[in-house]
Amino acid sequence: FLGAGGGNDIQWCFSQVKGAVDDDVAEADIISTVEFNHSGELLATGDKGGRVVIFQQEQENKTQSHSRGEYNVYSTFQSHEPEFDYLKSLEIEEKINKIRWLPQKNAAQFLLSTNDKTIKLWKISERDKRPEGYNLKEEDGRYRDPTTVTTLRVPVFRPMDLMVEASPRRIFANAHTYHINSISINSDYETYLSADDLRINLWHLEITDRSFNIVDIKPANMEELTEVITAAEFHPNSCNTFVYSSSKGTIRLCDMRASALCDRHSKLFEEPEDPSNRSFFSEIISSISDVKFSHSGRYMMTRDYLSVKIWDLNMENRPVETYQVHEYLRSKLCSLYENDCIFDKFECCWNGSDRQVIFNLTIPFFLPLPYSIVMTGSYNNFFRMFDRNTKRDITLEASRENNKPRTVLKPRKVCASGKRKKDEISVDSLDFNKKILHTAWHPKENIIAVATTNNLYIFQDKMN
Amino acid sequence: MLGRGLKRKLSDYEENMAGLSSAFDSSRSLPYPLKRQLVLNMCLTKLQTYKMLVEPNLHRSVLIANTVRQIQEEMRQESNQQPINVCPGITPSSHSYTGMESSGISLQLPSGISQQESNCCDLRSVEDPIENSLLIVSDDDMSSAISSILKDLDFVEDISPPTCLVPTGDDQPKFPENSCLKLEDDRQDLKGAECVFGSFEISNSTSYLKDLAIDDIFEDIDTSMYDSDFCCPPLMPPRPPSLATEEPLKTFPSCNSSSASNIQICRTDLSELDHIMEILVGS
Repeated sequence: FLGAGGGNDIQWCFSQVKGAVDDDVAEADIISTVEFNHSGELLATGDKGGRVVIFQQEQENKTQSHSRGEYNVYSTFQSHEPEFDYLKSLEIEEKINKIRWLPQKNAAQFLLSTNDKTIKLWKISERDKRPEGYNLKEEDGRYRDPTTVTTLRVPVFRPMDLMVEASPRRIFANAHTYHINSISINSDYETYLSADDLRINLWHLEITDRSFNIVDIKPANMEELTEVITAAEFHPNSCNTFVYSSSKGTIRLCDMRASALCDRHSKLFEEPEDPSNRSFFSEIISSISDVKFSHSGRYMMTRDYLSVKIWDLNMENRPVETYQVHEYLRSKLCSLYENDCIFDKFECCWNGSDRQVIFNLTIPFFLPLPYSIVMTGSYNNFFRMFDRNTKRDITLEASRENNKPRTVLKPRKVCASGKRKKDEISVDSLDFNKKILHTAWHPKENIIAVATTNNLYIFQDKMN
Repeated sequence: MLGRGLKRKLSDYEENMAGLSSAFDSSRSLPYPLKRQLVLNMCLTKLQTYKMLVEPNLHRSVLIANTVRQIQEEMRQESNQQPINVCPGITPSSHSYTGMESSGISLQLPSGISQQESNCCDLRSVEDPIENSLLIVSDDDMSSAISSILKDLDFVEDISPPTCLVPTGDDQPKFPENSCLKLEDDRQDLKGAECVFGSFEISNSTSYLKDLAIDDIFEDIDTSMYDSDFCCPPLMPPRPPSLATEEPLKTFPSCNSSSASNIQICRTDLSELDHIMEILVGS
């Protein structure tokens, strides 16, 4: 079990599962991104069919104090449609690659969603009143002859059933030749970046017909290409700083104040290769699939095929911590290369905040204790959590079997070699089709969203 | 086996490859050059498959190309270190296709395998399926495979400088931006022999008919007859003409005599190859 500050262990319980039950997965239902909004009240998912589904947490029921509010469908809309690029004879997939929420400024919610080529800003607003009492129409709906209208009647707003509307407010298109893999909103909440395999562009949220190219790693001769951009993110506090990761396992930190085109990095984070682990697949497994800053901005986390690494922004030559996600796969790399699993892009996430405020009975005041857990997915619908303070880790499974609400999840163990103990699963029995690529952690509470191929699982810690 | 629940494709090729990768992962006795060859073949096959896609994945292509480059570099260093005295009469500077291919092949065999030749022969009976499924690929095959897929990934951009004309017959990809002949010349001067044949895919590539600029004009002509055999052939990355493939067998009588069944299986492969080459060359 994980140990948080103050001796409180997190016990994860199944809460809900969303999505189709049957094993036959419709391609369009494959979940491609999961993201909580800044308050945690809303949880958005994007799928391969170009749809966005937003769930809303119920207000906490005073009588049911033993569980947090459930998430129910709040809004569903078609964000992107498949397109055809006639110039290149290419189909543009409608799959939603990333969703990022804007912080809430008024009654409406805003999010950015992107497919391979186009980013859209969506406004999600509620309508629970409508004007009634017009005297301009007949009973059957036809407009009355204006000359027959002799009184002035002001319509009044009356309550109606809640309607949630999503409307596209901005469409940011035609700026990416290659496939967009990341979007990240700046801490100024006015600009954001979008990154594809070779370039990163900076946008203003209000302006759709212009973007600034801030990173370009395309060589003059494509045959010299040896590295692509795999992920990018703005620093959470410093609005001129961003990082981008590469397929060679490096992370570059750039400062936009240095020059207009940030081709020269301010810092280059790279760990020297471990010669004892060298194989034909070393480079492929070093490719970084995700990069995420910590909330304080002092650290960043990267995910490569076999591990999660924590980097201190002040130290470029190696990570400060490395956590093995599924080291038992290292001896199976050739098979994983053959079936393309080695190219799977796992994401990673931090827990809600860097600090946990707990009431400690021995010292009678609130203590902000360091509290840092990272989470990432694996195969066989397993996902892993690493507590950075206690250095303990846990493997859990997202599965409909044996999951009753408020039952604590049983830790899983994979047997790498030798005699398999009871309740352990051997490496060869793992289902490599069941991969957890996307996970998200509620910004304030211990609630996590874990996406299997076409289902969304919500787990929360057991409340006493 | 990995991938419980994974729908297995029916083709022999796929099953063979899965078996080979399992052998790679589990076997400790597999000699290094054999492992390397297996990985190389897998890489080239993947690149070949990607080339046939309308839009190959850039990230994967780059990773695979880098792996091929790494293996290529390693093989080059080994061949530089070891004396090439096993194939008299064949020099690396030969300019004919068949000559180059055979010398390419001959160069690779001694460097990779000579020191473990006896091991190889001893293991041959055990590792027969693996040996026979591995195809020796020349340095130029590798370079041209990498070049062609990366060139194909260079998309037409709206803002691009004007480029030189594409001469017909040159196997440059569909997008004229990438095929400036002057660039090719510079490359050739700098990189020497490797590059001379880097752009000439016609003999190496199984899908050269697709790469011809003529295709843009005659898109509706069905070239599937020329391609289909190479969609799912048993273990077929780009191959040189059949004449060249017989060379390694001739130059290593000691290995040949070790197993009669080995020759049998090789001959079956060769006759299929002949058939395919006939179609390609149109003889």
